[in-house]
Amino acid sequence: MNILNLLSLEWKKFKNNSVFNLFGVMFLLTFPTVIFIGKEIQVPEMVMNINDLYAFPNNWEWMAYSGNWLVFFFLGFIMMNMITSEVGYKTMRQNIISGLTRQEYFLGKLYTAIALSVFATLFYAICTLTIGFFHNDPYSFEGAFDQPIWLLRFFLMCMGYLSFALLIGFVIRRSGVAIFTYTCYILFIELMLKWFVTGNLLKNSPAINYWPLNAIEDLTPLPSWKKLENIPMKDIEFSFLLTPSHAMIASSLYICLFIGIAYWHFMRKDV
Amino acid sequence: MSILTIQNLSKSYGKIQALNNLSLEINAGEVYGILGPNGSGKTTTLGIILGILSADSGSYKWFDGQYGSSHRKRIGAILETPNFYPYKTAEDNLKIISHIKGSKDHDYDSILELVDLSHRKKSPFRTYSLGMKQRLAIAATMIGEPDVIIFDEPTNGLDPQGIAEVRQTLTQIAESGKTVIMASHILDEVEKICSHVAIIKNGHLLATGSVGSILSDQVTLELQSENNESLRQFLDGIDWIKGPKLIGDKIEAQMDKEHSIAEVNKMAFDRGIVLTHLVARKQRLEEEFLEITK
Repeated sequence: MNILNLLSLEWKKFKNNSVFNLFGVMFLLTFPTVIFIGKEIQVPEMVMNINDLYAFPNNWEWMAYSGNWLVFFFLGFIMMNMITSEVGYKTMRQNIISGLTRQEYFLGKLYTAIALSVFATLFYAICTLTIGFFHNDPYSFEGAFDQPIWLLRFFLMCMGYLSFALLIGFVIRRSGVAIFTYTCYILFIELMLKWFVTGNLLKNSPAINYWPLNAIEDLTPLPSWKKLENIPMKDIEFSFLLTPSHAMIASSLYICLFIGIAYWHFMRKDV
Repeated sequence: MSILTIQNLSKSYGKIQALNNLSLEINAGEVYGILGPNGSGKTTTLGIILGILSADSGSYKWFDGQYGSSHRKRIGAILETPNFYPYKTAEDNLKIISHIKGSKDHDYDSILELVDLSHRKKSPFRTYSLGMKQRLAIAATMIGEPDVIIFDEPTNGLDPQGIAEVRQTLTQIAESGKTVIMASHILDEVEKICSHVAIIKNGHLLATGSVGSILSDQVTLELQSENNESLRQFLDGIDWIKGPKLIGDKIEAQMDKEHSIAEVNKMAFDRGIVLTHLVARKQRLEEEFLEITK
């Protein structure tokens, strides 16, 4: 089966799925609106300029940062649900019995991760352009296209989370355990592992920034980190963030690794 | 034409040897029953040949290898339970299977009609009873006009009416000339539907062949008289009657099929034994199965 055929099959399977629909709608609703919480927040000018949230070109960074959380949560859960629910319903095995090869089944999920990432990136672009356009006075796209690299960074961030969700989904398979592992790894476990390995999160090697989910998060980080880094701090001996190019290279390698391990595991494991 | 060739298939789950050097050959048009007690390796065998389990060793080949890796598109199969998307209707679930098989046949109505589900085709699968789910699974096996249909315990968990309905549908499919492979431990089902059987136990193949060849050439006799003990002694003395034993208030024994019950009746009467009950019945698959798997 070709790409379109596999994507159309995935769409047929999930278009009435409640988790897919609920989380998809939540993503579509929250992504263009969550940035407006900024209007209610009082932040010192030294940390951030509220105008940056909406004005070109800095709104690309802020929209990407808010998208980081939403993609991790909504799209990541959708991706895992598309794998683990098929294990629960035993439709994964039925799909293979009915004629899909294991490779086709895996590619169907991988193409879905890519399609979701492309869709989320386009949506990010549309939302950012719309917010920036209406924020300019008079309305215009002035400054809108100064930093096209954010589109690539956002796409890689989406692929990073979704390929990690793909890996967790195929390896763990059970819905509840997969969601728990995915969430805990991103929020706590990687941080704890770093601490165990280095003994001190703020010292020692800058290699600490190259851990998988750290590298993916650093693709679209909190923009204020850049300002915080300019403040001299005692005992902190390295940058908080990877450079954009290092984050993109490291994330691309991790994306390939996640996909490779998931594929290797799925091709060998009984269904 | 060979539909399926299995050679020396072995599979273990930890210390449990589920299959041990199993070899089978199934030809076009056969209705092939795989018989065995629970845990004998039937579902493992089907799981391997359907690509969802991997064998530790051995090999299998579908259709002499002529369809390559897309051979499963020529096969309709249910393994263990009916597996569908619960939030989708019967029709939508069949469309998904049709998409996977690349089938041009979109006459879902007549397929659902065959299993008496056309009136519920717009209902979500999760609202179906077990019997309806099983019938939908049978309908799904017919999508894309497959050359081979595989059923694994097709009447499991059904009530008597459901069993009768499913059995009727299976008989219709078997009579259509398609190759059918059916795993079951319900021997009556297999005996009624199948032309060939393989009997497996603990992953070993114990017997294979046509149902007729598996059944022995002996006839089971059921006899009774006023004095069953002297009747048993009399039967013991006849060399073409084997193993007379008292079961309840009757004696059962095996007789070579060249002889007749009239001969037995006459010989008993000549010895002064008046039979009050004499019945001859052909050996049933169930008895043969119990004998083979003993």
